[in-house]
Amino acid sequence: MMKTVLIPVAAMLLGVTAASAWGAPGTVLRNEKLYAQPSSRAAVAATVAKGASVDILSRQGGWLRVSSGRSTGWIRLLSVRSGSGGAGGAGLGDVVGAATTRSDPSRVVAVAGLRGLNDEELKQAKFNADELARLDTWRATPAQAQGFASQSGLVAVSVPDLPEPRSEQASSPWENN
Amino acid sequence: MKIKLMLLAVTLASFSGVASGFDLGKFLEDRLDKELNRDKKTQSAPASGTQPAEAQAAAAPPPAKQKIDARQLGFALFGDYSIEEENRIGRQISGNLLGAVPLVRDDGLQRYVNLVGNWVALQSGRKDVSWHFGVLDSEAINAFAAPGGYIFVTKGLYRMLDNEAELAGVLGHEIAHVTKKHHLKVLKQSSLIGELGKVASSKAQGSDPMVQNLIGNGAEIMARGLDKNAEFEADRVGLVFAARAGYEPWGLPTVLQDMAGLPAKDERTSLLYKTHPHPADRLATLGDAVDGRLDGVQGKELANRFYRIR
Repeated sequence: MMKTVLIPVAAMLLGVTAASAWGAPGTVLRNEKLYAQPSSRAAVAATVAKGASVDILSRQGGWLRVSSGRSTGWIRLLSVRSGSGGAGGAGLGDVVGAATTRSDPSRVVAVAGLRGLNDEELKQAKFNADELARLDTWRATPAQAQGFASQSGLVAVSVPDLPEPRSEQASSPWENN
Repeated sequence: MKIKLMLLAVTLASFSGVASGFDLGKFLEDRLDKELNRDKKTQSAPASGTQPAEAQAAAAPPPAKQKIDARQLGFALFGDYSIEEENRIGRQISGNLLGAVPLVRDDGLQRYVNLVGNWVALQSGRKDVSWHFGVLDSEAINAFAAPGGYIFVTKGLYRMLDNEAELAGVLGHEIAHVTKKHHLKVLKQSSLIGELGKVASSKAQGSDPMVQNLIGNGAEIMARGLDKNAEFEADRVGLVFAARAGYEPWGLPTVLQDMAGLPAKDERTSLLYKTHPHPADRLATLGDAVDGRLDGVQGKELANRFYRIR
């Protein structure tokens, strides 16, 4: 009973946290349009160039409301990255990339702080049959998953596969078989 | 047989020159070369080059009377482990991973993740896998997939999620690694072909020495990571799995946005960034594939039902 009260409260608190995370800096990942509404059929309010800095104000579905200079409008969620690390762009000189190279001495110390999930401990890891057996106890059957989905009105819908981006085809062996 | 060999030649040609990280083209070439020359020494496989695939196929020598075990060759080229072998490999990797990091002791959480995960996996089209999902007791931000349908999310990553659609997106990415057999492809490239096939399937409860031999030390395969294009593909495919399950498609991209917004030196992402492209690159690549294609797709976020952990 306690739980039923706590969950909405927790949801509210987390909702507020998530909302306050926006208003954060972002970088435009490709030349894009800012629309007056979160729809590609809306009027174009402005255009932004790849690498431009924006302020992310809010999100609605696949759209972010951003301001860039004196313009404000909606841009596709996947055309912006949040954070102040720049456009990144195929791993070129990104701030984060530089911070995670092996030669960074601070990283070695940092990783050691996270027990288990680092190179050395994964390499040394010994098979744990008990934990694996525990994992088994939580398994769900397809019928259970189906029932769980329909409880919340989830229905399987038809969505076509996404195409492999053209720039990637030359170097990907994964789609060839 | 002639058609089969032509197909192989075309396949080989299309592979050669694309093997950036693994030298896959060379591997396949050697393998095919070996098979073709088993009975006849004078013929050699077409050399890799810049010619178009058709030209190479046409230039390939006419297949005289080689004896080729099609199954063996198929295995050499495509790494078709049986489902039993795949399960054994996944089980061993997962048992080792759980030796490094235990599962969160929260039945409600684990059961919830299994229900969501199985529902998303039902959209993947792989029916031969029995899926296992688990939340690892680690503050690191990461998720793992092993062959045979073993999927793990860390508590650190789970904490970043705000709704069920985001969880579905993360699980979809991992499910895609399994359906696309990304790890099996890596194993096939780095290991002795057919090693597993020589022994009867193990029913033992404990560690499987034969499989351990195949995967290296402990769970180091999880620290090595995959080709970045395998990660981009898993983003693309996983997002679609979540959308097909009725969730709004923006769960995975939103999680990637949240990751991109973390401080660069956040220690929780050290292993993640060692084994995955940066979230900014993943967003940009996913954006190329998605463009306006999902504009008409509606779906549910299900923030209310999302299981919150402390």
